[in-house]
Amino acid sequence: MSVNAAVLAAIAPLMAFFVTLILTRKRPWLSAGISIAAVSISSACAVFLLFRHWEMTEPVLYTSTWMVSGAISIPVGILLDPLSLLMLVIVSGICLLVQIYSIGYMEGDPGFSRYFTFMSLFAWAMITMTISPTMLQLYVFWELVGLSSYLLIGFWYEKFSAGQAGKKAFVMTRLGDVAFLIGILLVLVHAGNLNIVEINSLGPSETMSPLIITLAVLLIFGGIIGKSAQFPLLTWLPDAMEGPTPVSALLHSATMVAAGVFLFARLFPFFSLSPTAMAICLAIGTVSMLLASTMAMVSRDIKQVWAYSTISQLGYMIMGLAAGGYAAGVFHLTTHAAFKALLFLCSGVFIHALHTNDMFDIAKSNGRGMKIPVICLIIAGAALAGLPPFSGFFSKELILAKLAALDNPIWLIFALAGVFLTAYYTFRLIFIILFPKPGLSDADSTSIAADEAERHDVKPHPIRQVMAIPLIILAAITLVLGFFEDPVERFLSATVTESVSASGMHHGRLAFMALGLSVAGVLLALIEFGLPQSRQIGFAERMPFVYNLFSKRWYIDHVYRYFIDYVIDRGVANICAQHDKKVIDKSIDTFCDGIVESSRFLSFLHAGMIQYRLIVVFATLFFLSLYLLLG
Amino acid sequence: MDMQYANFPYLSTLLIVCIAGLFTILFLPAREQNKIKWVGAVFSGITMVISIFLFIAYDKNIGGLQFVERVLWVPSLGIYYFNGADGFSLPMLLLTGIVFFTGVLSMWELDTRVKEFFALYFLMVTGVFGLFMSLDLFFIFVWYDVSLFPMYLLIAVWGSTRKEYGAMKLTLYLLAGSALILPAILYIVNVSGLKTFDLVALMAPGTLTPLQQKFAFIFIYIGFGILAGVWPFHTWSPVGHVAAPTSVSMVHAGVLMKIGAFGVLRVGIFLCPEGWRYFAPLMAVLATIGIVYGAFVGLTQKDLKYVIGYSSVSHMGIVGLGLSTVTVEGLNGAVYQMFAHGIMTALFFSSVGYIYDKTHTKMIPELGGLSRVIPVAAFYFILAALTSIGVPGLASFWGELVVFIACFKVYPVLGVLSICGLVVTALFMLRVVQKTCYGPPKEHHTHIRDISFAIGIPRMILSVVIIFFGLFPSFMFDMIETASSSFFKGLP
Repeated sequence: MSVNAAVLAAIAPLMAFFVTLILTRKRPWLSAGISIAAVSISSACAVFLLFRHWEMTEPVLYTSTWMVSGAISIPVGILLDPLSLLMLVIVSGICLLVQIYSIGYMEGDPGFSRYFTFMSLFAWAMITMTISPTMLQLYVFWELVGLSSYLLIGFWYEKFSAGQAGKKAFVMTRLGDVAFLIGILLVLVHAGNLNIVEINSLGPSETMSPLIITLAVLLIFGGIIGKSAQFPLLTWLPDAMEGPTPVSALLHSATMVAAGVFLFARLFPFFSLSPTAMAICLAIGTVSMLLASTMAMVSRDIKQVWAYSTISQLGYMIMGLAAGGYAAGVFHLTTHAAFKALLFLCSGVFIHALHTNDMFDIAKSNGRGMKIPVICLIIAGAALAGLPPFSGFFSKELILAKLAALDNPIWLIFALAGVFLTAYYTFRLIFIILFPKPGLSDADSTSIAADEAERHDVKPHPIRQVMAIPLIILAAITLVLGFFEDPVERFLSATVTESVSASGMHHGRLAFMALGLSVAGVLLALIEFGLPQSRQIGFAERMPFVYNLFSKRWYIDHVYRYFIDYVIDRGVANICAQHDKKVIDKSIDTFCDGIVESSRFLSFLHAGMIQYRLIVVFATLFFLSLYLLLG
Repeated sequence: MDMQYANFPYLSTLLIVCIAGLFTILFLPAREQNKIKWVGAVFSGITMVISIFLFIAYDKNIGGLQFVERVLWVPSLGIYYFNGADGFSLPMLLLTGIVFFTGVLSMWELDTRVKEFFALYFLMVTGVFGLFMSLDLFFIFVWYDVSLFPMYLLIAVWGSTRKEYGAMKLTLYLLAGSALILPAILYIVNVSGLKTFDLVALMAPGTLTPLQQKFAFIFIYIGFGILAGVWPFHTWSPVGHVAAPTSVSMVHAGVLMKIGAFGVLRVGIFLCPEGWRYFAPLMAVLATIGIVYGAFVGLTQKDLKYVIGYSSVSHMGIVGLGLSTVTVEGLNGAVYQMFAHGIMTALFFSSVGYIYDKTHTKMIPELGGLSRVIPVAAFYFILAALTSIGVPGLASFWGELVVFIACFKVYPVLGVLSICGLVVTALFMLRVVQKTCYGPPKEHHTHIRDISFAIGIPRMILSVVIIFFGLFPSFMFDMIETASSSFFKGLP
């Protein structure tokens, strides 16, 4: 029964994908209907499974063989444990809400049908990935998720930057995936098995020395870095905002990029075997979290801010997991999925109505006049900033508590600094939209918007119901989810036991400290952006050097650009191409020319002239006599 | 090797259909272009149906050689007309059938010297079919040459972009290959002392001493390897691809390069397993260089067909890597990759052919926005590009995966290097897609008509095959497994 439900949850979007791809290309509304129906089935199955297995102690495992080649057997199957059940509900639920929202957002787009086809592809890949019982199946669908991300980022392919961003996302995540694949192969060769449950019950043994485990964990973590846009592969995510906003909400904040964190949680016991690797993961999570927060402080593009904040929150989750907080990381993933999707969908309403991504332009065009999205934006922003009673507060507390339990206090200090920055950049955006200041900061406007004239004509029209309902549902979830902390934690811990127990500081002094920092961040944002006399220029923007550093993304992209241009294109690729032409081809051509020339020479000797023959005769006689005389 | 004699000579029928098609075309008047095309489509369609039938009718439970036909041809030399199909050759026959038929359809809009073109095309494919089914060394050599010579004319007459140079280069390279193969074959037949060209008889363990095997193997490996695009003997292939007309490129990259790999497998590895073991590390190194090098050179190309040509070098490197692992998995992966790559490049060249026909250019900087102008044609092109990148759910993913798994156990470092080559492949394929299909369309291309249903049929068939074997690889792997596992059991 459970297995059937899970199979149905996975297969329904696949069917929708093929049907909408082949049959209903010319009937966009039918495509949307089929796609939404399929993902509704998936969500229903997911919820059913979650309730059915709420008290589970043993994971449900079902596998059958997909393909055999010699000693390589590739199984396909289903693993239902608390983690995959929770993820299944998150993924299918948000898929459903976003697809409903998309009806309003994408209406009238010439690619309406194609959009739902790609969305179904994504739903299938992501759902099947979450319930994968083996690393190989996970990898296969991980790649497919990457493919659908590529297709959806480049959805408006006529825009040059969109195609470019899709390509960048694919190649950068591919870089991580290569490490991931090598990691998988390393595990396969040394453990002989890719079954997730068995990998998690591995211990250091003769075949798996601690060094090999560390190496494997770090390689697999490479895949996580790529997918979850962690340092140093983080710059594809802000560019991925070229896709339609619902896509950003679904893929590039709530679900797909969280797949990296999901993988970490999936292999949590295995990762825990290597303290060295965990420490490196912790460091990378921290660096990503801080870097992305600083980038978010100076961006004017509303979607970019949320993209940076996604990187930073994913960094938090990885910090939590790497500090040994399994439930903490996963719970933050859950709450983050809801409030970040909400943030994006709210922004989508503004973008859809006002045709601009620039927060100052949104403010000027009276964005605050739209009641539902503004209220939802504040709720979600408060959750992101970690203000009670919104869900983000609770999950962030859990992570901080885990970090506090570590020996080295530096991680906690960094995390708290991140709390402050998060609150600051979130409320910077909210205050800018709430309190427009006409005439200010207009000079250097690098607006992405269309015509100036057109923009001011636009009157915010009332939000469409089909777009409002998902917002309200997500806002409700954000409001109440925090209070489910204990049951979710207990549910998650049913099959995985954490190495480090929760510290006593939880909800104690630490909570107040974090809350204080959040409030401080909000207040600073209020002073700089919210008060009538404030000039809406942040402290970071006042320092040119810092501003440049932050807004140029710490020059990470420049390094990549340089690397691609000078090392790959003009370096290795050029050398190989020149070698092909000037060494291999040239030597062959020279060889052939040589044959032609020598044939010509030979034919010349056959010209039938008596002089040459005499020369040859005499020369031969000369050398022969020399040989005879001296010999 | 077990043999199952056929009640009905299916394999010969396949050849007879090709030859019948050839003669029908020859007897039609040259001005009846449409009739010639229809005859071509019908006869090639029949061969495709037969090849699919053979693939399905093969009994995997019994395995071994099936549909065997064996007649003594020249008693004094021990030459047999000996045909048979096993798990290695059936995927290749299927591939040839599909590419042959879709290739004919892809040339539907040809209007210069139609009769001669299709006659030569049929002759070439007859040779290819013959080579894949033949189990006699003499016939293998003859079919090899039959399939090569029409190629020269097909490229030199109907080609484009430095066609004489490309045709000449290709022919000389491949003749150099056959100049290595022939002595090796004669050497094997002579030193075996069996006085037969029968491949199965020569396969008996102990026929050749290890030293003789090493000696013969290196000749066969290089001889057939030239055709398989082994680095550094690969430069004929991109030049040839570029110069050739659409369907010839399809057969050339899709099937002819497989003949090379298949020859290494059928003649080299089957007859000289010791030589194979001895030279395997060398093969692995050359293959890895091919994978990485091909991808990097592909990165710099401006001509669509050159890009595909170098990606073929890179992908054929994966085949070579699989063969070099000396494992069942490696062989499986290699043969699977041969099939997948054949279908994929056929789709590639078919799509590029359409784009070239309509825009009259295959230079990447002159193209752009094709997804807007000709969405369906662009879809096929992007599908081929994604297959080439190795996206799961599309055929070539499984071949690559299995080869990498096998390789990682035997040559971990080379395996890691080849896997890293995947990033470069992704980079240049996506660049090409970005520059040709995305972005705003070029003004002078906006009037182009999209691919119609009828013209789209060959691409449709190829796409369906790619997706089918991408989702259900076991149909192919089970087939190959019957041959590779029994081959390893037969090894001393």
